[in-house]
Amino acid sequence: MDFATTTKLWIYQRVADSGRVPTTTEISAGLDRPAEEVRAACDSLAEKRLLVLATETREIVMAPPFSAVATPFVAEVGGRRYFANCAWDALGIPAALHGAGTVRTSCADCGDPMTIEVAQDGPSPTDCLTHFAVPAALWWEDIVYT
Amino acid sequence: MLCFRSEAHVDAWCLTRGLPRRPLVDLGQLWHLAVHWYGNRLTVDSRRPAPEEMTRIFAEVGLTDPFWDPSRDAFRG
Repeated sequence: MDFATTTKLWIYQRVADSGRVPTTTEISAGLDRPAEEVRAACDSLAEKRLLVLATETREIVMAPPFSAVATPFVAEVGGRRYFANCAWDALGIPAALHGAGTVRTSCADCGDPMTIEVAQDGPSPTDCLTHFAVPAALWWEDIVYT
Repeated sequence: MLCFRSEAHVDAWCLTRGLPRRPLVDLGQLWHLAVHWYGNRLTVDSRRPAPEEMTRIFAEVGLTDPFWDPSRDAFRG
């Protein structure tokens, strides 16, 4: 297994176990490898669109479906709380963790809270629609705004 | 992509921002996308779907409008 794959698995397992996306320093310590090697691995994973890195710091901003920063999309699975990048990723968290959970967000128009219960085979019927503002071919021109 | 209580709320949100109304996706469709994108994300083999795979996954839940065509995206997986 190459080091980028090892790094990917470590990052995602760390997020799953802690609810938090790790920093380069934490990954370096966890894998006992120099930070430069970790940065190169993260660059490789970003090229494959498995991570999104901050332009200046090169720290992980997104390990989709997980977000490194607080967002209005919160998924609770197995008693742990995770931030998602968007509505799609909010369902992606129980899908990735293979566990039932709850997604908490709000209506983008009126701000009313919305709760979506998610069983292992999918979400319960809820009055919730998602609106995609950007065509699929353009998502990665600005992945923060889709 | 954002969540809304109803189509009326989507229309109001788009009108307020001067944005065009784009396709709506229900939770069943979104779950299908989530499972196919992220179901194996914690495994060795996880990767982002290639454009051809994306097109197939979208079509499986009826998302066949040109809006869902990823072919102009340079990413090849």
